[in-house]
Amino acid sequence: MESALSLRAVTKRFGPITAVEDFSLEVVRGTIFALLGPNGAGKTTIIRILTTLLRPTSGTALVEGFDVQHEGKRVRRLIGVVPQENNLDRYLTARENLLLQARLHGMAPAESRRRIDELLELVGLVGRQHDFPDTFSGGMQRRLVVARALVHRPRVLFLDEPTTGLDPQSRRAVWEYIESLKDSMTIFLTTHYMDEADALCDRIVIMDHGRALVDGTAARLKERMAHAHVYELQFRANAERYEAMLGGFPFVRSLRRTGDTFRLCLAGEESLKPLMDAIGTDDIRKLCLLEPSLEDVFIELTGREVRE
Amino acid sequence: MFKGAFSIWNRDMLVLRRSLFTELLAVVASPLTFYLAFGFGLKGYIANVEGVPYTVFMAPGLITMTAVSAAFDESAWSMWFHRKVQRTIEAYRVTPITVYDIVIGKIISGFTHGALKGVAVAAVIFLLTGFRVAVTHLAGYLAFIVLGSMIFSCLGTVCGTLLDKPETIGKVQAVVIMPLIFMSGVFFPVSSYPAAIRGYVTAIPTTALFEGSRVALLAGSLNGAYLAILAFSAAVAFAGAVAIFNRKIEE
Ligand SMILES: Nc1ncnc2c1ncn2[C@@H]1O[C@H](COP(=O)(O)OP(=O)(O)OP(=O)(O)O)[C@@H](O)[C@H]1O
Ligand SMILES: [Mg+2]
Repeated sequence: MESALSLRAVTKRFGPITAVEDFSLEVVRGTIFALLGPNGAGKTTIIRILTTLLRPTSGTALVEGFDVQHEGKRVRRLIGVVPQENNLDRYLTARENLLLQARLHGMAPAESRRRIDELLELVGLVGRQHDFPDTFSGGMQRRLVVARALVHRPRVLFLDEPTTGLDPQSRRAVWEYIESLKDSMTIFLTTHYMDEADALCDRIVIMDHGRALVDGTAARLKERMAHAHVYELQFRANAERYEAMLGGFPFVRSLRRTGDTFRLCLAGEESLKPLMDAIGTDDIRKLCLLEPSLEDVFIELTGREVRE
Repeated sequence: MFKGAFSIWNRDMLVLRRSLFTELLAVVASPLTFYLAFGFGLKGYIANVEGVPYTVFMAPGLITMTAVSAAFDESAWSMWFHRKVQRTIEAYRVTPITVYDIVIGKIISGFTHGALKGVAVAAVIFLLTGFRVAVTHLAGYLAFIVLGSMIFSCLGTVCGTLLDKPETIGKVQAVVIMPLIFMSGVFFPVSSYPAAIRGYVTAIPTTALFEGSRVALLAGSLNGAYLAILAFSAAVAFAGAVAIFNRKIEE
């Protein structure tokens, strides 16, 4: 099958900072693809390169076979973009925002009218179409940006953290639109949320420091973690003391604490015995084996701590 | 060609229409104040200037000044706002239109603001005072206004493109634009300058603008050299603005 997107050895430097380094990727048509990574990993930079906003320092990027540097106009005809930060025109009403988009894409007035009615319906903004985006909640603004990206029926849709800052209900709503679009286009999204990538995407790449770390389906990524044993351990008392102890063991690969409960990843089954011997059973309330989540994969691969 | 530029201009005009009345009211206030303060307040102290009463001498310059500074302001602030605050420039840039469409649309919008506001001030001065000119002089005067608004719109676009901080734009207005306007024939004729520096002042395009437009409106004569300076400056400013925007925006 042909690729909707390809990145070939793409590098992007900003002065001394290398935001993306020797990054290669092929995304098959019709997939929902997620790029995961902590803050500053280079996700937005990759989207900006693919949407013709930034020139790569080296390497080539193609969208539906067109080179983003030399055939930018053809690329832009085919893409819809939801940027990380909403960039709606606050001096235009919701409907006018969509109309301007249709015009910039050279759509005929009758067709744009029909399409815009349809999209306003889809994102639930029909009743507010003559209001200015400033008067919208964050979720409504986000939905409007998504609608704007869809006006011209793009073949590839880019969504940079589409649900950041939304409440669970609005997140689900956005997921639903994304799911419903799946058949007609290729979707490229970035996110910090594991559950989002897990729920929506056919394929996931985790990146950090401008490089890809792993590539696969959510299921495959979790499988990679199967050898890593994730346990939940709850204490009755003295959680502070145990935290220091757990942190000191060489076979504890990662450790996260919420209240009295620790989530720890051990190097292997054989580590369980020395662990239990060391901490004893006096204060343990609960111990259980967990199925690794994508979050565990993420933390395992990008380092224990969240970088600043 | 340039359908994109037209769409962007259209958007700007839609927004302008919504606030047209307050915009015009605000822009008329300051030239009218100058007109009343200098023209009438200083009436007894100033004799005829270049053969006409001071209020008549000053009126064309005030109209021109309003037009060109409105063109500069609109272009600079609008470009800055759409680039840095609202980031709509980025939204435009992921559609099939080109960077030329964007910058040309913005320049024409600034130019339109200038032209409209110049006309508003002219109308008010005409209605409220005894200032009258021959209708036949208007065409020549308009040529100056068009070229002047074009130059200042391009300058504003350059500022709005290059300057990231709003206070820097304010400083450019205070340190470059205002002196450039005030020193070149709005309130006094360039012939008042000492002979030694008059040559330099005459070479500044704003002198061509204010001196040329005043003579065109009051006497009906077109100064070819001044028009040539302005046409050349407008061409350079336009090419410069487009090139600068293109380079800056492509990073
Ligand atoms: N215009 C720029 N100038 C200089 N450095 C930049 C620029 N844009 C991005 N960077 C740097 O490139 C790196 C990657 O940034 P990018 O915005 O792509 O990260 P991200 O993965 O999208 O992060 P986040 O999750 O916070 O949005 C960061 O170190 C950032 O500081
Ligand atoms: Mg980002």
